[in-house]
Amino acid sequence: MSPLRAKAPRIREKRLDAIGAWLGSTSAAVAEFSGDEVVQRIRTFAQSTNDDLIYALRIAGTIRNSVTVVHAPRGCAAAGLAHALAGPGSVWASTNLDERDTIMGADGKLRKAVTSLHHRHRPDVVFIVASPVVAINNDDIQSVVEELREELELPIVPIYVTGFASRTAVTGYDTALHALVKYLAGSATAEEKGELVNLLSVAEHPADRSEAERLLRELGLAFVTTPDNADIRDFRRAIGARASIPLCPDAPEYLGHVLREKYGVPLIEAPRPVGISGTGAWLAAVGSALGLKKEAAALHARRKAETEQSLAGFSLAGTAVYLSLAAAHAFALLELVHELGGTVAGLTISHLDRLHLPHLRELAARLPDLQIHVANGQAFEEASIVRSINPGLYIGDGLHVPQIARLAVPAVSLEGTPVIGYGGVTGLVRKIRAALAFRSFGELLGRTPTPYHEAWFRRSQNWHIKQEVK
Amino acid sequence: MPHHLEGVRNFCALHGALQLFEAMDGVVPVVHSTAGCGVQYHLGVTRQSGGSGPFGSPPVSSSNISEKHVVFGGGSRLREQLKNTVKVVKGDLYAIVTGCAAEMVGDDIPAMAKEGKEQGWPVVYANTPGFGGDVHHGYQVAVRALLEQLPELAASETAPVENLVNIWGVIPNSDPFWRGNLQELHRVLSGAGLTANLLLGDGQGVQAWRQIPGARLNLSVSPWGEEAVRLLEERYGTPYLSVPALPVGFATGKFLRAVLAALGRDNDEAAESFIAREEAVLNRHFARMADSYFRHGFQREFALVGESAQVIGLAGFLSGQLGLVPGTLAVTDPLPEPSRREVEQHVGAITKGAATVVFSEDQAEITDALGTGSPGIVVGSSLERAAAASLGIPLVEASFPIGSRLILDRCYSGYRGAVTVLEDVGSAMVAGSPRETDVTAQ
Repeated sequence: MSPLRAKAPRIREKRLDAIGAWLGSTSAAVAEFSGDEVVQRIRTFAQSTNDDLIYALRIAGTIRNSVTVVHAPRGCAAAGLAHALAGPGSVWASTNLDERDTIMGADGKLRKAVTSLHHRHRPDVVFIVASPVVAINNDDIQSVVEELREELELPIVPIYVTGFASRTAVTGYDTALHALVKYLAGSATAEEKGELVNLLSVAEHPADRSEAERLLRELGLAFVTTPDNADIRDFRRAIGARASIPLCPDAPEYLGHVLREKYGVPLIEAPRPVGISGTGAWLAAVGSALGLKKEAAALHARRKAETEQSLAGFSLAGTAVYLSLAAAHAFALLELVHELGGTVAGLTISHLDRLHLPHLRELAARLPDLQIHVANGQAFEEASIVRSINPGLYIGDGLHVPQIARLAVPAVSLEGTPVIGYGGVTGLVRKIRAALAFRSFGELLGRTPTPYHEAWFRRSQNWHIKQEVK
Repeated sequence: MPHHLEGVRNFCALHGALQLFEAMDGVVPVVHSTAGCGVQYHLGVTRQSGGSGPFGSPPVSSSNISEKHVVFGGGSRLREQLKNTVKVVKGDLYAIVTGCAAEMVGDDIPAMAKEGKEQGWPVVYANTPGFGGDVHHGYQVAVRALLEQLPELAASETAPVENLVNIWGVIPNSDPFWRGNLQELHRVLSGAGLTANLLLGDGQGVQAWRQIPGARLNLSVSPWGEEAVRLLEERYGTPYLSVPALPVGFATGKFLRAVLAALGRDNDEAAESFIAREEAVLNRHFARMADSYFRHGFQREFALVGESAQVIGLAGFLSGQLGLVPGTLAVTDPLPEPSRREVEQHVGAITKGAATVVFSEDQAEITDALGTGSPGIVVGSSLERAAAASLGIPLVEASFPIGSRLILDRCYSGYRGAVTVLEDVGSAMVAGSPRETDVTAQ
């Protein structure tokens, strides 16, 4: 059965046993995933966190010449504003559901919104992003999609996120990617695979995407990048590619998976190209899959030498670093910290699932006692962990970096910081150098207390993580 | 039936309630909703209003209800979350705010708040589903929740405090300059011998709200404060004064006189001498910038996009004092019909009927409205970037949302605010006018 038949893919918890609340050593984490079923844990105290709707908006907003309609009360479009003001200014709207709509349904309103936005902006595609209200009411989006697609002769792509079905925001990437391929890629062609390769880039910093594209160009590869900044026609091109190269083993995984299962495009297994050796390993994986082994090795050798020279002997030796990052990103940064001579004092990772298992096993063999904290946006747990570890440097990409920085730990935020490739190493080292050399701001920030009671810091850090009662 | 909104700028009631509660010292909002609501607030509101929230993160307590709660109800989850919030997060007051999912499921929020109170916790609640209304509605619901549920208020037999004035209607973040505007209001009122009870901002917490019954006057400075001042008149017999906007520049004198008159004080000498001193300072700034004014052609048509309170205040300053020509004035807060007529009257009086007033919160409609005039500058939000660029005119980002600047305590009202507006609007016109070298090169 085609993986695209369903409205949405299975949530990450079901598809890959994803967990979002856990604390323990790397070896215990491996043990956690050793059985057939992974135990789901919940929090008895929680803080706001990204959900699938927000992640889906990120992807929809990046498609060129698109209009995104958030089918929800007006607040669910707030993240759309953030993306629009930060990015190239995609068009987004809310169906602005009110109380009556939640009772009577609002397909008429949705139809009107799509039609009027189409007439005003003449986009290549309209995305309809679902929401908790629509999911609870089971509002009929599909018939609006079918009707208007014919009437307006326009691709209309429904993205069935719910905001509550999954506790793992990355499910939103899967759901959006599922919809993009289902509605924009067309049916499989029997044609020979062409010369193109796919670069799978999901919610990456534009500079990161460019860095990866430069590397592929230097290898002489012709490529098409999806979904970041893609044109809708790029998805048709993607299904005819000879291989898919992910920029991350995590976020684009579902896209790579579908392109392989439905269209027979091989998915190259590669680590995230972060750090000198990490980028080298990514290039090597690409090179060996595409018959460019020598070229990849030569490119790496050249760029490695240049990068090492630009680092001018920078070393993190003697610095214990705490990392708090999204999934595969955390593992990649861990390797980079080691490469720079530092140690990793602990890790907060947004979620763990079976995709991480190979890396986790390898890590458990090397560092069996390294602590892994699985959490997305749970700043209270992190504050307690970081205060007790008291690392020499904190690197995070969450929305709560400023709160952790109140612990007077030198901090670097990776939100909006390019890290990919050789250029990424140089840029990140510049930031780390600054954070370690000029600590005044962080020290002054230390005068502002965290929002938590002292009593919380005396509790065990996983106090509020409990096994779910079914 | 409200239609869809393009480029939404007024988000939901939950966000409005969070805007109020996060602006009070010691108040911890407890979000009872799906996990993303607090992050939506952080990304779309906190980050787009020139600064950051009090916690250095999205809201610090959220029940994050999931599928199970949607099916079986989320009341027990809220009970657990509230209990643990009190244990983990420091606070003087815990304010439950609800989102759509919790309300659709029908969780009994008052019962949960009551349970908390029986435990001795300071708890209030506000039902704020996004489908119930926008940020302005959320602000009003949250204000009412505090006035009706703060036990200190109900039991209060506060003695009247001479010269104390409660301030209503400044909505944090919806007015990006709220912190500075409140400070300036405090400064000018104390110049007139009065004490403003700001209720929001640094040092303003439950303690400030306890003083509400003792005030001599409730002052509403936007249509969104009117409900509160009426409620308080009913309850405590406190008189109120409602003005549509904070004054900017020379309008501050008239405003101060009106406040004093509402307290039965006319021809207050101390106030008059304060006004004279402040006006002298402003006169000197006007004289200083006259060279730039004439050289760079300040006297041009302007368009405004923002909350009614901002539009009225700024239109009065730019047109009535700086001599600019009023063009399209887009009012973005969703006012009820009677309030709209009042805004039109106010603007008409200030601008000699020259302005075109548009009521809309839809980016497409606002863009079209801006294109109908021939403005030489727009004072609006970041959502007007494309419109300003296509008109080839400078944009001063001064209303919500603001993605391009940091705002800590600068103000856009009163005497000091007038100077800031002069600097911002003037700088944009100076920077936007062709340099002499460019002209020679042509």
